[in-house]
Amino acid sequence: MSLARILALVCGAGALLATLPWIASDFGLSLVLTCVMYAGLAVTWAMFSGATGYLSLATAAFFGIGAYVTAWGFGTLPYAIVVPLGGLAAAAFAVLVGAAILHLRGAYFAVLTFGLGELVRHAITYFEKSYAHTVGRVLTDVPESWIVYLTVLTIAMAAIAVSAAVRASRFGLALAGIGADEERAQTLGVNTRRAKIAGFALAAFFAGALGAAMAVRWTYIEPNSVFNPFIGFQTVLIAMVGGAHTLIGPLLSSVVFSMLTEFLRLQFPYAFLIVLGLLLIGLVLYLPGGLASIWPLVRARLAALRARSASLERGGAGG
Amino acid sequence: MAEPLLAAQGVSVRFGGLVAVDAVEFELGQGELVGVIGPNGAGKTTFFHVLSGVLAPTEGRLRIGGEDLTGRPAHVFALHGVARTFQTPRVFRDMTAEQNVRFGLEFAGRRRSHAHDAFDDARSILGFVGLGDAAALLAGALTPSRQRLLEIGMALGARPQILLLDEVAAGLTESEVEATAQLIRRVRDELGLGVIWIEHAVRALMNCVERVAVLHQGRKIADGLPQAVAQDPAVVEAYLGDSVA
Repeated sequence: MSLARILALVCGAGALLATLPWIASDFGLSLVLTCVMYAGLAVTWAMFSGATGYLSLATAAFFGIGAYVTAWGFGTLPYAIVVPLGGLAAAAFAVLVGAAILHLRGAYFAVLTFGLGELVRHAITYFEKSYAHTVGRVLTDVPESWIVYLTVLTIAMAAIAVSAAVRASRFGLALAGIGADEERAQTLGVNTRRAKIAGFALAAFFAGALGAAMAVRWTYIEPNSVFNPFIGFQTVLIAMVGGAHTLIGPLLSSVVFSMLTEFLRLQFPYAFLIVLGLLLIGLVLYLPGGLASIWPLVRARLAALRARSASLERGGAGG
Repeated sequence: MAEPLLAAQGVSVRFGGLVAVDAVEFELGQGELVGVIGPNGAGKTTFFHVLSGVLAPTEGRLRIGGEDLTGRPAHVFALHGVARTFQTPRVFRDMTAEQNVRFGLEFAGRRRSHAHDAFDDARSILGFVGLGDAAALLAGALTPSRQRLLEIGMALGARPQILLLDEVAAGLTESEVEATAQLIRRVRDELGLGVIWIEHAVRALMNCVERVAVLHQGRKIADGLPQAVAQDPAVVEAYLGDSVA
């Protein structure tokens, strides 16, 4: 699909979704909000980690940094300023950290990025206790839920549009080359270090902005709740279940995943994590390419069936 | 004498206590076709890693086109016109052959001027290396010998002045080796590149190049005309008496 068509689709879907606050129930709206948030996180995660193969668990750290920018800035600064600031703070952090750790690969990189979330969480806890003499912060006068929803929707749609644009660009080609064979890409002229840091920071910007936008929903913000490793894992799972090499996969899977989680939680309040875990294992075992690989599989099967029935018909006519 | 295209001055590479490349002096002139041979473990590939910036030398300097690039990352070497292949073909398996060649054109090749029609676009480069019919095929689906050709095409996409070929004839049949040797001559004759060709099996190489250097245990033990080098007692000894030419 061409970039222009994808962007048109994104705008159309965004406009449709933007009407929800006036037609959906509170419960429906909050469910869609979760879907949209994970769509933004998973798509930008896939943009960097899916393309390059650098498995980052730093989403929780970036998200938390964004949330803390809101915790500190909200009240003195308007919501519309705090949100992009949260993104910028996370991106700046990603540049600093990326320069130090993006030469590591595989499990080392994954473990280190996981450690980042813990590091920032403890650093903020220490800072708040020692200098601000507090453990958490209360947000008052938070924006109404439809404002939060529209903000998160805008960020997520921008994230999808940017991911699509990156995929179609030289930058995206560089990231894909890094994923395929980093050294080869470098010997063909790719400044791999710069490309990796830029990709890491771009993904961090969206995670940070989403964290900053979502923070006002909690009203009480403390490090343990906003630097939640679950957010990082969930993002990686959604992207992988959907198919991290594709754009549509993480999108699709964020909807399926959020709905499924909600449905299972209501139907099987005690066993839902078990069912979810079994589903995941099944998916990884039998559909390693993710949800995005279903359609090509189905199409190939259909084509094979059609070819067989056509040859049967020919055979029948001949006999 | 004009500044050589490439000059390695006293280049050494040490891995802990092991000296893989030992104080090697080497030069490549404009449009020269030079072979580098040596027994297994002689340090040939390590030497190539240094020449292409993949590995920084422990000691010594590297000058490309008169500019000192010692210790710079590999993409800077590519931007200065050094392109290479790898011993085991490293193509982008999930991309088509055409996309593979276009990759070099999009990065190093983009900032470099080109003097020849064969460098114009991915299709003409594929045609040049003899893969004109494979443009739309996935690189991973090509036979190993065609992947080697594709790697040369990828390197040409970077629009280099210097082409480093690491055992491009290994594992090929005799007629394929002959065709590869011809392609290498055309790269030099028609495109005017300086070429360094490493090979473990030396017969085809000796017939093709006009100068050959011999590495043995990391040291350069000979450098000269193929016929003279083949008779050099030190070289004969390094190859344990195997006939070289």
